[in-house]
Amino acid sequence: MSLNQVLVFLLLGLGSGGLIAGIGMGVVLSYRGAGVINISVGAIAMLAGFCYWALRTGDFGITFAAPWAVTLTLIFAIVLGLFFEGFCVRPLRRASPLAKLVATLGFLLSAQAAVILAFGESARPQPAILPGGTVLLFGGAVQINRFWIFGILLAITLLFAGIFRWTKFGLGTRAAAENEANATLFGLSPNRLSLVNTVAMSLTMGIVGLLAASIQSVDSQTLPLMVVPALAAAMFGSFTSFGITFVAGLLIGMAESLLTYFETFSWFPTSGGPGNPIPGVQELMIFVILVIAMLFRASRIPGRGDIIDRRLPAAPRPKAPMKGAIRWGALAAFAIWALPYGFREGLIYSLIATISLFSLVVITGYVGQLSVVQISLGGVAGFTVSHLFTNFGIAFPWAGIIGVIFAIVIGVISGFPALRVRGVGLVVVTLAATDAIQNFGFGNTTWGAGNTGAAVPSPSIFGFNFGSNATFHGLGGGEPSPLFGWFTLLLTIIIGLLICNLRRSGLGQEMLAVRANERAAAATGINVRNVKLIGFAIASGIAGVSGVLLAYSYGSITADSYGTLVALNFIAFGYIIGITTVPGAVQAAVGVPGGLFAFALLDWFGLQGNWLSFVGGFLLVLTLIHRPGGVALDIFYGPPKKPFKERPLGRMIFRPSPVLANGAAGADVTEGTTAGVSS
Amino acid sequence: MAESILEIEKMSAGYDQADVVREVSINVNAGEVVALFGPNGAGKTTTLRVISGIIKPSGGQVRYHGQDLTKLSPTKRARAGIAHVPEGRGIFFGLTVAEHIRLGYRGEVIEPEVVYEYFPALRELRDRAAGLLSGGEQQMLAVARNLARRPKLLLIDELSLGLAPVLVERLLPVVRQYALDSQCGVLLVEQHVALAVEIADRCYVLSHGDIVLHDSGAALKADPDLVVASYMGQRALPDEAEATA
Ligand SMILES: Nc1ncnc2c1ncn2[C@@H]1O[C@H](COP(=O)(O)OP(=O)(O)OP(=O)(O)O)[C@@H](O)[C@H]1O
Ligand SMILES: [Mg+2]
Repeated sequence: MSLNQVLVFLLLGLGSGGLIAGIGMGVVLSYRGAGVINISVGAIAMLAGFCYWALRTGDFGITFAAPWAVTLTLIFAIVLGLFFEGFCVRPLRRASPLAKLVATLGFLLSAQAAVILAFGESARPQPAILPGGTVLLFGGAVQINRFWIFGILLAITLLFAGIFRWTKFGLGTRAAAENEANATLFGLSPNRLSLVNTVAMSLTMGIVGLLAASIQSVDSQTLPLMVVPALAAAMFGSFTSFGITFVAGLLIGMAESLLTYFETFSWFPTSGGPGNPIPGVQELMIFVILVIAMLFRASRIPGRGDIIDRRLPAAPRPKAPMKGAIRWGALAAFAIWALPYGFREGLIYSLIATISLFSLVVITGYVGQLSVVQISLGGVAGFTVSHLFTNFGIAFPWAGIIGVIFAIVIGVISGFPALRVRGVGLVVVTLAATDAIQNFGFGNTTWGAGNTGAAVPSPSIFGFNFGSNATFHGLGGGEPSPLFGWFTLLLTIIIGLLICNLRRSGLGQEMLAVRANERAAAATGINVRNVKLIGFAIASGIAGVSGVLLAYSYGSITADSYGTLVALNFIAFGYIIGITTVPGAVQAAVGVPGGLFAFALLDWFGLQGNWLSFVGGFLLVLTLIHRPGGVALDIFYGPPKKPFKERPLGRMIFRPSPVLANGAAGADVTEGTTAGVSS
Repeated sequence: MAESILEIEKMSAGYDQADVVREVSINVNAGEVVALFGPNGAGKTTTLRVISGIIKPSGGQVRYHGQDLTKLSPTKRARAGIAHVPEGRGIFFGLTVAEHIRLGYRGEVIEPEVVYEYFPALRELRDRAAGLLSGGEQQMLAVARNLARRPKLLLIDELSLGLAPVLVERLLPVVRQYALDSQCGVLLVEQHVALAVEIADRCYVLSHGDIVLHDSGAALKADPDLVVASYMGQRALPDEAEATA
């Protein structure tokens, strides 16, 4: 290793570092301008990237020269920004920060699905717009485009920093971010400020999408997921500082680049034989950086003194769970036997997804923590089952049990940070964790799936195989065997009933108290820490069961089986239908991509799963706007008497703000009682 | 008779269907300081919110310069010259004093000299974040910033909240002077009755959502018990009144 080489790789890192910084800029703009932790900024850059690609290569029928393609792409970015503001931001401007974040998740899923539907999943070599060529520096060749990216994004950063510091617009945005109601009294128009900021964001993302072409090809994954390091960078800047975000983004990119250099050394850990550097180290590093950023930044994303809505939909007491379990259980049992194999497979996947969503019901619906990492915990259990067999010959049921225990242990350990981080912060960390676990954990040959997939033996007891490949095929015929379906159904019903009971138990009441108000709960003598940890343990155990079942059902699992995309889809569908109740989870699971509904769409209409994600993303935003409790809650309360309308300012309580420790504060303007379903 | 700036006629308003102020009528003329008194929860803040448009009245009329305000958004009202210093001061803790004075909508003319003319103490604090100012300094900033807008109607909600009476004694005359200088109408919600009657031309007392007393400042200054008695409505308890006074 030579110092010169290190310097060369650091310079090379200016490219991806610049992109991360650019996307971080979008995160900051969205936050400062509209109060949204926007996880779809990378997806907007991706859309712009594809737009440029299509214009340049004639995919739309006409091939444009570069200047025209650039202009049109930037116009497209502006239109995207206007749409984003009108669809995701404006209607939800009084929603909780969490609901706003979830809405951007909807946009992300739709954008990704749209791109896959339109252009397929393969990466496209992008016609670069920056000049090629290299310069010789420190004895190595460094592409000039790295410096261009750095320079352009530095200029953008300085521009925004200046605007926010010195212009009336910047001052107004800062004021409105601190307290929208007071800004209104000064004659400012928070709506207009938000619109301009969102368009600035999408325009910046358009530029990032164009620049990205010079160092990577366009695909549906890379740029959207770059939001994870970008969030880490923005976290260092407390989601407000353009300068710090820029520097942090650059440093993260450089560190990533340095890691790729280190991978060439023999001392770098390998997985699956020499010459195969261990995968996912970059994602792991980003996760660690994010955690550090959170600790440094006192784990707080600055609160906005907004007029905010309630946080999560209500979690009503289950009504007659036994009756529902028997009725629907019997129907499902019959369907498992009678349905043709494809539908049966979809149904079984939906049952497994139900259990996954049950874990979200506990952790999100009851304890009030939205954690993305649940699916990964399922993966931990799934891969444990696989490796216990391949490495130690341990099979069902012990492998499954150990897998679940493993998931619980990891879940509780990961729950400790959640004691300090909550709300949107938790979503951000667990998103990074999911990405890291997928790449570092599941992508690893030694303890994950590598590139090939990890085999999982069929479950059998006393030599009797009841796995998906069992010989009993039922009325519908074919695999997976109904035996496995029934086994899955049985576990689904048991867990469903257990968490219905949990809701009614004393512990359940305590969880809801913690969800409602941690401080008040603590004041009534509830041990908030323990309640949360128990919640994480239960949820992780349930997620583990679901992961084990998925492993058995597939017979061979890959990193993507439990990937970020799966997790985000589950959360999206959970939110659409209802993430707080058992019936909601069941219905949501029917809808998830890969589930029963998805198969029906494929079989009857030839519609791919991506259509479901595409529509699901939009539905998610619409649900957040019109039925913040999810559709399933209508079953409990009946449909709302009048359509949910944005509440007039008059229903808000205005209170003087508590002064925050750092001297900055926002007026704590909360909402009074509300009407209809959402009260 | 001076030009009428604000006329509230039989206005009712409240939260979630229940009215907390009922058929209230108040008017404010140019250059006049009008005080609005009342016990806690009487609906004073609610009344100011209706005027600045934060909440919609359920009945009655609010006219500004003879024009019905109903259709105007809070932003538009602010731009039309209604300045509202809300409870909790309504300033931005993350912005410095100087930034507050630059803050404004596009095209707004702000007169920084006004700030330092009426509140010279703020000059030294220009570069300090508002969140780091003392309560009194924050209140000065809130008032000063709203004066710099050259409003035609100034609504101030509890200027005295958390301030030492001496400070209130200093701030109130500034407001009085400003109203005289600029012919702006001032509607002042105040708990320190004794201090406010010194500078108010007229006073209203709001109790349980009804105007129970309307008199000139001078009259109330002469007979301070009148206000306190009106707080209690018809069932004024003499000994309690004494205790509060
Ligand atoms: N946002 C709100 N939602 C529901 N009720 C409210 C809201 N704000 C105020 N109220 C109620 O309206 C009534 C009048 O409140 P208001 O704030 O106008 O009183 P006030 O006269 O300003 O009192 P104070 O002297 O304590 O400031 C009170 O009973 C209060 O509880
Ligand atoms: Mg009040």
